[in-house]
Amino acid sequence: MKDILHRIWSVVVKEFLQLSRDKVLMGFVILAPLLELALMANMTGDSVGNLPLAVVDRDASRASRELVAKLDQSEELLLTTYAENVDQAREAMQHGKVGAIVVVPPGYGEYLTDPQQSAEVQVIVDDSNYVVATTAESSVKNAASEISRDLTAHTTTISGEPVKISFVARFNAALDSRPRTITALLAMIVYQVTLIIAAQSFTRERERGTLEQLRITPVGRVELIVGKAIPTLVIGLINALTMIGLIIVWFEVPIRGSLPLLLLLSIPFILAQIGWGTLISLVSHNQQQAVLFVFAMAMLEVACSGFLVPASDMPKVMQVVSQVSSVQHYLVILRGVMLRGAGIGSVWVPTLALTGVALAAMALAWLRLHAGLDTDSLRQRLRAAWQQRQKQSRRRPSPTTRSRREKTKLAPQPVYATHQEPVRRRRRRS
Amino acid sequence: MRFKPRRLTSILVKEYRHILREPRTLWMIFLSPAFVLIALSFLFASGSGHVELAVWDHDRTPMSREFTSNLDSNADFSVTYVDGYEEIDDLLIDQDIDAAVVIPSGFGDAVHDPAGAPVQVILNGIDTFAAGQATGSLLGYASTFGLKLSEQFSLSAPPPLQVHSQHAYSSDTDKRDSMIPALIPLVFSLPAMAAALALTKEKETKTLESLVVTPVRPLEYLGGKLVAYVSTALVGLLPVWLVATVVFGVPFRGNLLVFVAATATFLLANMGLAIFIGNLVHSQQTATVIALFIFFVPGFFLAGLIDPIDTTKIVSTGVSHILPATHFVTICRAIFVKGATLGDIWPSVVGLLGIAAAWVGLGALTFKKRTS
Repeated sequence: MKDILHRIWSVVVKEFLQLSRDKVLMGFVILAPLLELALMANMTGDSVGNLPLAVVDRDASRASRELVAKLDQSEELLLTTYAENVDQAREAMQHGKVGAIVVVPPGYGEYLTDPQQSAEVQVIVDDSNYVVATTAESSVKNAASEISRDLTAHTTTISGEPVKISFVARFNAALDSRPRTITALLAMIVYQVTLIIAAQSFTRERERGTLEQLRITPVGRVELIVGKAIPTLVIGLINALTMIGLIIVWFEVPIRGSLPLLLLLSIPFILAQIGWGTLISLVSHNQQQAVLFVFAMAMLEVACSGFLVPASDMPKVMQVVSQVSSVQHYLVILRGVMLRGAGIGSVWVPTLALTGVALAAMALAWLRLHAGLDTDSLRQRLRAAWQQRQKQSRRRPSPTTRSRREKTKLAPQPVYATHQEPVRRRRRRS
Repeated sequence: MRFKPRRLTSILVKEYRHILREPRTLWMIFLSPAFVLIALSFLFASGSGHVELAVWDHDRTPMSREFTSNLDSNADFSVTYVDGYEEIDDLLIDQDIDAAVVIPSGFGDAVHDPAGAPVQVILNGIDTFAAGQATGSLLGYASTFGLKLSEQFSLSAPPPLQVHSQHAYSSDTDKRDSMIPALIPLVFSLPAMAAALALTKEKETKTLESLVVTPVRPLEYLGGKLVAYVSTALVGLLPVWLVATVVFGVPFRGNLLVFVAATATFLLANMGLAIFIGNLVHSQQTATVIALFIFFVPGFFLAGLIDPIDTTKIVSTGVSHILPATHFVTICRAIFVKGATLGDIWPSVVGLLGIAAAWVGLGALTFKKRTS
């Protein structure tokens, strides 16, 4: 047992030495997360606002000007264009200059004050961007209902709205989207750093040819994996901790739950990434492929995490599929503990799921490891054996010495061979 | 020595050979954008959102029961009945509900008041998406309920102001039609990553040094690499386009030629940026980490994919427009849904061309210094 720990420790030391030698990488891994979090949170924290609006005011009365002013004052809309007619406004939309058009018909002011009739305005929204479309639509409708309410309060006629809803937001009174964005950023950044470091651990050694050297040391496969996982775990935890610190100090998002619990629950999240990353690094031939795998996987996970589409809006099939995403479970925990002050009693379901995903990823990596550290070793061995048989059957009449030479050439690959397509090279030579 | 196309071609041949030698890399560059796009697109259901509600009926009159039972039978909501604020708070903390509806006592009588009967809604403020959806759905529900009541009691005149909303391009444009074109830039960052690594790999395996002694000039070398990777990635546009239009039925109303040209420019800009990164660092690992930081998170947050860019914020608008993806998101949406012509979207196209020129230029400049 002591020997095992000692060997793992030596791999950990080796990994840290290698990492610290690359100053650019080290600086990037430690500082870039903070920088990116700060930049992104500053730029995207607020809710959707100041969508450019075009107005076609065919009434040009005092009431219509009041409506336009009200729309301009709303946070979501910003009046940029007065258009003469609808065609002109539509052309501006086609150029992407405005996201919504409000058309005020002639006679608007008179209809508005006439108790027997209702005034009508038309809003045309740019449906090529559904966020713009829905935001603009609801903003105009809100402004209209405010105007209606003011009018009915003035004239003391009975209101057309017997039920009046008042909204209060719990945890986040201003309905600021920053806490939501910041937690998503935190999870995504920890995710990308740990996944990429883990995914390159073995491919890098393989590409540089140092994997063979490692294989002849007394360090076993599992010890090698564990030793390589520990530095990644440490880096991931440092990232999580420093970013949480930055969030508390700079962005003044309150941490309502327990910080140690949050860090503790970050461990299975990082372990899941190490599992997936190790798996990727074991199946990739080179770092290029590893990166393509990582990027594809990262996009899928983020997409499933409920950030792009709320989980309840996904089709049923995808809701099930997205349970595999560790980012999704971690985000639930992060938002629960950090923003809503949830204890372990409230987040045990995602915690279990997260642990399950981490274990599954680790198990897959473990299974792949049992097939050998060499990529495609199984397939290559089978191919070599198959070709050997074919050549043997083809050259049966030839002298035995020659067929033996043939045989030695096509001997199965040693387990720790490099990845470079040995079969093809051999064929070219012969 | 002058720039000779022949030497560029030989580099091109060498690069193609590199790409073709690893069939798996080739397939990944070809098909991974389409594959990722399929998976991402499945997320966007065409239906509208579903709201999880908790309802606390404090009033318990026939009127309040009508209000809640109608709410319960409405397909947009699923209702949990609770009693008391503590229960509501527990549900909110556990994130089991998006919003809680509290009907105060006296609701049944107050509906006849001119002021209207008050109902309180407590939203889960963290998930602003869900909160917005709950607000919209509940307001809609309340106004239909109100309308029914006022008909029942023949209470009032029509509301003084009504809004008719209309989609500018097609009445049946849904989330999917608007999101899938915008995801195309994101899925095409994959080939750029591969290009960034191709350069650092030559550095790491020291084959770049042997290239320096050949008569190949840096520009010819970079040109060959760019053309090889851009053309390889461009072939991947076909499966992506098929996925978007055939599989998911996104309308394509614009000019295909303009779209292909814009994609090529976007790829060029991305590769230029990737090569610039590759020039600055020495190991593939570092290049990957930096490329991931630049393409991945900003691709989701800054490019206008979800939240439209707020043009009144000068700094963030500026930074977003350094990213090639920002321009391309605008172009893709305009071409697919709006059927925009080159004349309509020329500002974005010029922006994209400028960014492409800038990044490729920077890549070429930094590359020169390294080899000399």
